[in-house]
Amino acid sequence: MEKPKILLIIPAYNEEESILRVCREIEAVRPDIDYVVINDGSTDNTKQVLEENNLNHINLVTNLGIGGAVQTGYKYALENGYDIAIQYDGDGQHDVNYAANICEPLINGEADFCIGSRYLDKTTSGFQSTPMRRFGKNIISSIINTFWKFKVTDPTSGFRAANKKIIEKFASDYPSDYPEPETLVSVLKDNFKVTEVPVNMRERETGTSFVSIGSSSFYMIKVSLAIILDSIFKQK
Amino acid sequence: MTITLQLALIGITLIYMYFILRSMKLKKMHPSFSIFWLFSGVVLIFLALVPQFSEWVSYKLGFATPSNMIFVLTIFMAFYLIFNLTIAVSKETQKNVTLVQEISILKKKIAQIENKIDNK
Repeated sequence: MEKPKILLIIPAYNEEESILRVCREIEAVRPDIDYVVINDGSTDNTKQVLEENNLNHINLVTNLGIGGAVQTGYKYALENGYDIAIQYDGDGQHDVNYAANICEPLINGEADFCIGSRYLDKTTSGFQSTPMRRFGKNIISSIINTFWKFKVTDPTSGFRAANKKIIEKFASDYPSDYPEPETLVSVLKDNFKVTEVPVNMRERETGTSFVSIGSSSFYMIKVSLAIILDSIFKQK
Repeated sequence: MTITLQLALIGITLIYMYFILRSMKLKKMHPSFSIFWLFSGVVLIFLALVPQFSEWVSYKLGFATPSNMIFVLTIFMAFYLIFNLTIAVSKETQKNVTLVQEISILKKKIAQIENKIDNK
């Protein structure tokens, strides 16, 4: 693949404080790659920030949640003929310097889908999340490993790259409730090649996670059930 | 079953049927749901008109009283309906998501085209 067209999909819900900085950083570090901010019906001034600063964006006419927002990005990538789409957080957690690393296996044809992991190489990432979250992530990893014989170190990572085939798949079908682990299962189900590369993640600067800490154990039960059910119904 | 209860049941189910038929006439309901409601109305009228039937069936099936059997029957019917409604709602939700996404992408495209025209 020569000079692939790369798009960063940045879902943003109430990220007025960080979104401008995140976009400016991408423009400065990687002027060669495009980005699109998906404003998921934010109730703060995210929309105004995006318009005033001329940041490439799509305003969802109503709030869809993370799954629907990210899928809009994949649809946009498909319509505009991008070769690779990278999911990227709007809160400053992800580091655009690693965009090259995460795309490499896709460009080389080693994988169709690549997850940026903060646990694969502990020296790369300064931010390792809380013990509680690591415990939850281990449960999800072992469920996926049991069903699919695939060792994933960071199943909930939102920093991931998809090639054209996966973009097409996600544009037509994307889970809404627990998109990160569920999309991984759906990609494994379709026999796509998946790999992980170590990336750096920073601590969230502003805003709150889509998953609140108070409900995280309930979240864990629901995610586990969802991916077990997804895995049991192995037929497409 | 006393005659008073039977008359009351027939009266109530007739009113019930009236509302179902009226909503069908006004096309307020999707045909697949109106068939279900119509069917439920017919069953209830039949049970009210021929109490011997429900007495006989409930005796054969081992219900203590015919009313118990009718309760079970209506609960099953309600379950069936709720199940189908859940599926209908999920389908609608998915359609809505797709619509929101497509409209939002279109709005962006329109804004881009407008910009191009303005700058000419």
